[in-house]
Amino acid sequence: MNFAQPVYYPKADYIETDTGNKVSRRATIAGPQNIILGGKTIISSTAIIRGDLRRTGPGHAVVISLGKYCLISEGCILRPPYKTYRGNFNYYPMKIGDHVHIGANTVVEAAMIGNYVEIGKNCIIGKFTMIKDCAKIADNTVIPPNTVVPALVLFSGSPGQFVENLPESTQELFESQTKQYYNRFQPLEG
Amino acid sequence: MAPIKDRFTIHSKAVVCQDVDLRGEITIGSGTVVHPKATIFAITGPIVIGANCIIEEAVIIINRKKEVMRIGDENLFEIGCRVECPSIGDFNTISTRARVHYTLRLTSYCVIGAGCLVVLPEEEVLEEHTVIYGPASERRVWSGRGHIQELDLRRKHSEYLRETLPKFNRLRRGDGA
Repeated sequence: MNFAQPVYYPKADYIETDTGNKVSRRATIAGPQNIILGGKTIISSTAIIRGDLRRTGPGHAVVISLGKYCLISEGCILRPPYKTYRGNFNYYPMKIGDHVHIGANTVVEAAMIGNYVEIGKNCIIGKFTMIKDCAKIADNTVIPPNTVVPALVLFSGSPGQFVENLPESTQELFESQTKQYYNRFQPLEG
Repeated sequence: MAPIKDRFTIHSKAVVCQDVDLRGEITIGSGTVVHPKATIFAITGPIVIGANCIIEEAVIIINRKKEVMRIGDENLFEIGCRVECPSIGDFNTISTRARVHYTLRLTSYCVIGAGCLVVLPEEEVLEEHTVIYGPASERRVWSGRGHIQELDLRRKHSEYLRETLPKFNRLRRGDGA
């Protein structure tokens, strides 16, 4: 299918679930009962995912939901955003769509990330940010809280600003890219 | 260098997660919340943290000086910031991934913006209500508007964390307990 080199990882370092999620043993995952992984999602080592910061109230609360073919790189921190609403303090759920790649050492406190989104390295995504489908965030971008990043655009800088529109083929391109990455990410025995 | 002696004094009402890297002589005051994966390093001198502070994940607090590093009350250290200030007053916010060098002292109500790098060639004391922001670490003075709301949010936040964190994380106790 492709001629790109596989990315090998030591088999013992990752846990693979039935749905094909690969989660590093060295990732910090707090409150795993509140996290949903869509399948074929990779969580690299030293990532931190905070599922413990849940919305107060009765019943089961989903804190972080990730779609399929997502990649959470090394040193990423995903934590849900918080605010007070009508005088009550609460954390609010974070929803991440399918085919989302998040670069190394990025901090994400977004409320929603759409499908086919690519976020670069060392970014800071502020609280309650909405990132729509097929958007791209360049490396080292700082997105302030409550920003809405529209579909099919490239954002970059500090504070993150519009740079250019992306072609309509972005969705197909990025879908095949994320699928390829998942297929290339192979265990190495021993 | 003499080996670092570990001595932790953690107030019984503080919430310090198990997965926190503490080194040296550290005192943590009542109601302070330390998230998992934070690092507090008292290399040469001790670190004293006041009441109701919030220290989020991947925060690094280092004391490189001989004297005591004092951190006041109700400060917020957001994700991944690195602080080496020898003294910090009350109600400061150090935002996500900001880095502050040991030459700067913070008074009260200061804000260091997200991703700012503050390295000064000479020692300086930051005046009250100073805001450092943007990629070039520019400065402004905060008028103080929204001050009560901000404080209220912080109080509710730490109250929430004190209630929720122990449900999902193992906690650490001081040496005395």
